[in-house]
Amino acid sequence: MSEQTSLWWIDWRLSRLPLVRETIGRFLFFCLLGFALLSLLLSGGASRFLADRYAITAVLRADVPSAEAEGLARKVAALPPVRSAAYRDPEAAWKEFLRAYPGLDPLRGAGRNPMPGYIEIRIRPDRLTRADVDLVASALRSVPLVEQVLAGEEWLPRLLRADRLAFWAGWGIFSAFLAGFFLVGRLQERGRAVALAGDFAFLVERGVPTGRMVFFRAASAAVSGFLLAAAGTAAGGGALFLFLRKFPFLEGGIGPPSDLLLPRTLAVAVLFSCGVALLSAAASLLGWRAALSGRK
Amino acid sequence: MTQGTRRILSAFLAAAVSFCILFPAAAPAARDIAAELRQERGRLLEMKEREEKTAQELTEALRKENRSKGRVGELQALLTRQRSLLSRIDRKVSALNERLERAEKDVRELEAAHGQARTDLQRAEVVAFAGQRAGAEDPWQLSARERERHFMRVYLAADAEGVARITRARERKEEELSGLERQVAVTERTMAREKKVGESLLSRQEEERRRLADIEREKKHKEKELKSLRAKIARMESVVSRVERQVKERERRARKAAGRGSASREPAEAPRRFASLSGGLSAPLAGKVVTRFGRQHDTTFDVTIENRGVEIEAPSGASVKSVGQGEVAFAGAVSGFGNVLIVQHGGGLFSVYGRLETFLVKQGEAVKRGTVVGRLPGSPSGKSVLYLELRAGGTAIDPTSAIPLDS
Repeated sequence: MSEQTSLWWIDWRLSRLPLVRETIGRFLFFCLLGFALLSLLLSGGASRFLADRYAITAVLRADVPSAEAEGLARKVAALPPVRSAAYRDPEAAWKEFLRAYPGLDPLRGAGRNPMPGYIEIRIRPDRLTRADVDLVASALRSVPLVEQVLAGEEWLPRLLRADRLAFWAGWGIFSAFLAGFFLVGRLQERGRAVALAGDFAFLVERGVPTGRMVFFRAASAAVSGFLLAAAGTAAGGGALFLFLRKFPFLEGGIGPPSDLLLPRTLAVAVLFSCGVALLSAAASLLGWRAALSGRK
Repeated sequence: MTQGTRRILSAFLAAAVSFCILFPAAAPAARDIAAELRQERGRLLEMKEREEKTAQELTEALRKENRSKGRVGELQALLTRQRSLLSRIDRKVSALNERLERAEKDVRELEAAHGQARTDLQRAEVVAFAGQRAGAEDPWQLSARERERHFMRVYLAADAEGVARITRARERKEEELSGLERQVAVTERTMAREKKVGESLLSRQEEERRRLADIEREKKHKEKELKSLRAKIARMESVVSRVERQVKERERRARKAAGRGSASREPAEAPRRFASLSGGLSAPLAGKVVTRFGRQHDTTFDVTIENRGVEIEAPSGASVKSVGQGEVAFAGAVSGFGNVLIVQHGGGLFSVYGRLETFLVKQGEAVKRGTVVGRLPGSPSGKSVLYLELRAGGTAIDPTSAIPLDS
């Protein structure tokens, strides 16, 4: 049993210093990767940023009472794709308009307010799709109180395309880094296997099965990879938390810090760690094989 | 015919008959009195002619006065109406002018508002199309931009609607102003025209008043003249009557002396005296009595007049016959009666035929009952009037009491 146990950390006992360097490097790498992963997870690429800037405007008729308009806003807010729906009365619309066009203010000092009230509808970042936007817009158009629905018909396709591009770009880069980790890990495993080839041959001559030794090395790589990924992700998450607290304006693009503690986020972090463990084990096996091939 | 005229003419006829009586019966010893009588009668006749003429002129003056007063009254009523109309038109013009001033003020205000609204709209368009928008540097505020663009369209539409509304209001006011100006022009023209009419009426009224004053002066003058003439005629008639009485007295004495005295006959017996004429009496023509004998009321002048004969209406040109046997004592013109023929039937009986056109017998010619002595004049109406008077002993009697006449 003690012989078996000693095979778990054989690399650590045979090559301690390089392994420390590797471990530190991998931890830092996973910190960054965890930070990126959680950022991507929370932001959905550019979805949150774009969803924060996209809104459907339901322009109401001029004679709609405030109570009815607010009731309509509440009903719209209950739709699944809708994150929020806020009613702005004509006075607020007029002030907003004058803020947008300050040059018009003196022109209409005594004039009547021509602006109608409106409802501003924000879509959930994860539901910022054409289908969901159309669903909300068509629902609003069927309401008699609504005179016009402004849903960005002209530029919404471009916005959604940019969202998809950002999504794929973010995850692509993340995947590339992960692949890079795998390749570098394989090279490191191969190098260590070559460096420790004599020691491994000595153990084989003493009756230790090669397969057993490879298995324990891969298992220890997986465990260490899982632990490093989890620790790195946690550290990255903590850094992201502090970062978002320090720079609240970034919440519009990434998301609120509280979302980091959501079970969904934690589950993804665990899955990520598991994935890293698998990649570490695979790198260990492939590195061993490459070392054997090189020796031959 | 006026009462005065009738009275004068009757007096004249009485004088004429008396004249006719005197000549056949006058004695040579009374030639100086007869001459004096003739002279006085001539003067009387002349004065009566003057009186008749004056009376006619006075009547004419009265008619003119009545007509003139009527015209003055009508003109006064017209002037009153005209002044009332002018006052109404003046009030209307004042009201129209007030409305005109208000409309002009409204148009000026609307023009100023229109100019301001257009300027505001143009500046708003500049602001909208020049992109003078706050926060334009943020390219990601797509929804906000879209909403602001929509609101800008609403704003511009409201401004354009405001400009259009002011334009429409201004056009309506300008139309109203034009209408008011036309109304004022029409009303002022009407007022000028009515003023001219009023001035013309006033001028006519003044002229009519002057004419009325002239007529009144003329009337007073004629009344005075008539009064004077009547006094003279009365005096003259008194003289003539006195002379006539003297002549009659002489005649009576002469007849008495000649043994042919006869009892004096009373005037009440005059109709019987006419009836006792040889051959009796007959109507001078077939016609209807239109003016009766004696005291009659004249409705034209609201006076009572005394007719000394009757007037018989007959077809124009009808023949006039002698009512009885006798001799033509007089045939000549008498003012107011036209051509007059007097037949002396003897015994102080005379018949007088007035308003003849022609005589068919001569003075001094003997006539029988029914002898045609003259004709009535023609007239457009187809009717003419014969004046018939019967006198017995210098007194006029009712012809209808002696002759059967159709009344």
